[in-house]
Amino acid sequence: MPFNRKPQKFNTAINVVEIGTGDKAIKLGGASVFPFYTFDGPIGNTAKVGVEISDMGLEGEPAGVKAYYEGCTTMAEIAKKAAEMPGADFVSLKLEGGDPNGVNKSVEELIAVVKEVVDAIDAPLVIQGCKNAEKDGELLAKAAEACQGKNVLLMSAKEENYKAVGAAAGLAYNQKVGAESAVDINLAKQLNVVTTQLGVKAESIVMNVGTATVGYGYDYVISTLDRIRAAALTQADKMLQMPIITPVSSETWGVKEATADEADAPAGWGCVEKRGISMEVQTAAADLVSGSDAVILKHPASVAAIAKMIKELS
Amino acid sequence: MTLFDVVFSGNDTVCGLTEGAINDAIAKYGEDKAVAFPSTAYALPCYYGVTGTKVTNLGELKAALEVVKTLQTRNKRLHDVFMSGVATALEAEFIEALKYIDAEPYNPEVDGCVGHIGDDIVRSLGVPLVTGDIPGVAVILGKAPTADDAVALVKSYQTQGILVTLVGDVIDQLAEKGYKTGVGVRVIPLGKDVTSVVHVVSVAVRAALIFGNVTGGDAAALMKYTFERVPAFVNALGALNPIVVAAGAGAIALGFPVVTNDVETAAAVNIKVPKSLIVQPDVDKFNATSLEARDIKIKITNIDIPVAFASAFEGEIIRKGDMQVEFDGSRVDCLELVQMKDMSEVEDHKIEVIGPDIDEMPVGSKQQIAYVVEVAGKNMQADFEPVFERKFHAYMNCIEGIMHTGQRDMIRVRISKDAFAAGFRAKHIGEVLYAQIKNEFDAVVDRCAVKIYTNPEDCTKMRHEVAVPTFDKRDERLASMTDEAVDVYYSCIMCQAFSPSHVCVVTPERLGLCGAVSWFDAKATNQLDPAGPCQIITKEKCIDERIGEYEDVNEAVRKFSQGALEDVSLYSIMEKPMTSCGCFECICGIEPFTNGVCIANREYTGTTPLGMTFSELASMTGGGVQTPGFMGHGKHFIASKKFMKAEGGVARIVWLPKDLKEQVRDNLNKTAKELYGIDNFVDMIGDETITTDPEELMAILSENGHPALTMDPMM
Repeated sequence: MPFNRKPQKFNTAINVVEIGTGDKAIKLGGASVFPFYTFDGPIGNTAKVGVEISDMGLEGEPAGVKAYYEGCTTMAEIAKKAAEMPGADFVSLKLEGGDPNGVNKSVEELIAVVKEVVDAIDAPLVIQGCKNAEKDGELLAKAAEACQGKNVLLMSAKEENYKAVGAAAGLAYNQKVGAESAVDINLAKQLNVVTTQLGVKAESIVMNVGTATVGYGYDYVISTLDRIRAAALTQADKMLQMPIITPVSSETWGVKEATADEADAPAGWGCVEKRGISMEVQTAAADLVSGSDAVILKHPASVAAIAKMIKELS
Repeated sequence: MTLFDVVFSGNDTVCGLTEGAINDAIAKYGEDKAVAFPSTAYALPCYYGVTGTKVTNLGELKAALEVVKTLQTRNKRLHDVFMSGVATALEAEFIEALKYIDAEPYNPEVDGCVGHIGDDIVRSLGVPLVTGDIPGVAVILGKAPTADDAVALVKSYQTQGILVTLVGDVIDQLAEKGYKTGVGVRVIPLGKDVTSVVHVVSVAVRAALIFGNVTGGDAAALMKYTFERVPAFVNALGALNPIVVAAGAGAIALGFPVVTNDVETAAAVNIKVPKSLIVQPDVDKFNATSLEARDIKIKITNIDIPVAFASAFEGEIIRKGDMQVEFDGSRVDCLELVQMKDMSEVEDHKIEVIGPDIDEMPVGSKQQIAYVVEVAGKNMQADFEPVFERKFHAYMNCIEGIMHTGQRDMIRVRISKDAFAAGFRAKHIGEVLYAQIKNEFDAVVDRCAVKIYTNPEDCTKMRHEVAVPTFDKRDERLASMTDEAVDVYYSCIMCQAFSPSHVCVVTPERLGLCGAVSWFDAKATNQLDPAGPCQIITKEKCIDERIGEYEDVNEAVRKFSQGALEDVSLYSIMEKPMTSCGCFECICGIEPFTNGVCIANREYTGTTPLGMTFSELASMTGGGVQTPGFMGHGKHFIASKKFMKAEGGVARIVWLPKDLKEQVRDNLNKTAKELYGIDNFVDMIGDETITTDPEELMAILSENGHPALTMDPMM
């Protein structure tokens, strides 16, 4: 029997969300077929790659990352260099220094960093919080105010603080809201429902449905991404049609494959940096083929590899 | 005078004043002179919000007044009153705008007033308003009976986090007492003229434009937004004059209730605008009256008790030697009860201790206690009473130094010596119950009060005359609830986090398979958290009554399982049975020899006549997959008339573990009697003390004359 190709095309599409302004602005989403199913129909905007930088500077970064930013001393310089990274579409500033259980920088101090970064680059900016919901509520609201007119994406609006982040970013200052949930389709949907009930337009929301590193309970991530994309397309579920962004590097560079020195690691593991890149690339590639519309990475080699993959597959 | 006369005359006065002021200004400056409020992108925001037109100069302002006049219709209808109110507010905005020509009419340093509030402040206030950190906006205008009353009222709002704006003499009253005001402390004196009230209206309007995506000119959307999303209300203190009443009509049009203490005027004009214009002679009660009228719920973040309150204390055990006093429902009359009351019967946060307090009880003694929580609310239903009541166990145990077991009139509460030494007394039980109920169930509870009885006579009386009849009534209602008696079922997807495609359909006669979610629980969950795990499922389109299949239910299941599940029946184990997650209380599987089913509960570790243990049976189903012949379910479902109704009902049960058998004995016997007229049906059923061998079971069942043997084959 001859193979009869039957396109899986849906009469609906993932929302398109624009981040940034001017020539460098990017659009996420738009697909009306499964990820990279170019043979079935239009895949919408190509997946995007972001480069993560931290308010903590380059401290503790892998050698390859440090080498890339060599000579940069200020956050503005780091941000510019990140924006120029080959393959990068946007910059993501992570405000990890704000964590009350960590360095616990003040909101004012962090907002100064945000301003320095947003003024230094013309690439789109995605801001990640400090992982503490209470602090993020205040921090991200202030960041939304500080970035007026730049159309930034404020990640980390969670169940606990979506009102503060959503109201500031989505309503008061016309930014984009990143709704973050923990690897569960229902929680992701519920957060979108309540965020839209707050008055934030569905078209202003990007989801971060949670992530993990490959091999670390990652099957849950795949299943969640799969099911969300399936519900968005096959059932035209409006409350799951937001594009998805996945922060990859913050997860992958913390696992033992990426941190164990060659001396301590089991025989045959080889160079630690190569392992780190490998974990980052594998995770990002899997996220993208499962439905993520953007990934956030940090190593120049990973960014180059993933950018190439997207180009070849799209 | 009627309300119409008052509002219309107030409106006419303001209109005349406005016209005069505009004409004077034009005479002085000419029509091209600019008119604007400082730091706003919305020109005259109220006028822009209502009409979509941005007024920029005196000529345009004059034209705008003509537009406003068209609102001032004079039919004796409530609509005309509201529109005249809106007109009054717009005219007030014009008068205020004129003040800003070549001048800075307000200066917080000099007269303490702020006047117009800039967009930047609106945006920064908007976020806490949306998040509920500012739970409401109070507009206090006029003059309080005394300066101390003014301070007390403002303070009461301030401690609740409510944003307070002030207009008129009340500003001087606060100044007289040296009370600190300003944007920073969220007590904002707007101005001393009544027209300055428009500056807070302007904030509400801009909130709608900025936060609600309302476009200027869409007056209907604007009013809908302010009504639904801006939790403002007006406290009009002192004598009401027509201008204030007209302005008040404007507030009501935006959805902001007005509370007044001017009993005489209110009575004279026979003002009746339910829920919107409220006469409260007692200024002390303005706070409570206003919050209730505007439906503002204050989150209680700090429970006023001398010991800690946290889930960390939930498992705390208090030994006999450590206890100050014990309330023991097994020996004396004790009870805990939630009672729904009418709004007028409940005074919020009233906690009464009736009888001796803990310090009057001998150390180590057994005492009686009856704590009754009375709740009232617009959306409260008596069906929620037991749902709240069941939470008492957790609430009480979270108190440091308190141990609680049991429920209803079978409770035991121990209070430790340490808690007593820290100052814990009976009223603190009330404080905890009050705070938790108000916080957790704020969607349905508007008022809550607690009565704690410690006298033996009261406790006995409460137990036998109030509590027991209530419990009986509830049980009866639960027993009489049938699937046919309700219009809707509920979905429950609480466990989808680990069982992604499982959906429970919860009906009155079939509770969730975990045993923890009854139809009432699901209903309450839905009302308290409308976007949550329990959603309404209609049951209008019946496909097959025998197996309980509905088109609406199938649609819901498809949706909530993200397409993983196509259709389910509610009453069949063989045809499209309901799926299981993994957390079922019991599992039932078909026993081919006897033509019946065996059930095993989670606690039962032995084997069954199917040759499998609970765990092995459980592995046959679960994960949201339909497995005909196997079904997870709750214990209470066993005695339900809908238990595998399609296959003939409970008569199919041939084997149960002994413990489970005893737990369901009475109810199951009752069901069998009603359905088939069989007496002592449970005695016909096998258990592990009788046999776990299928052939022996067969023999015993025929000896007992078990009905399953003569029923149609299941397969």
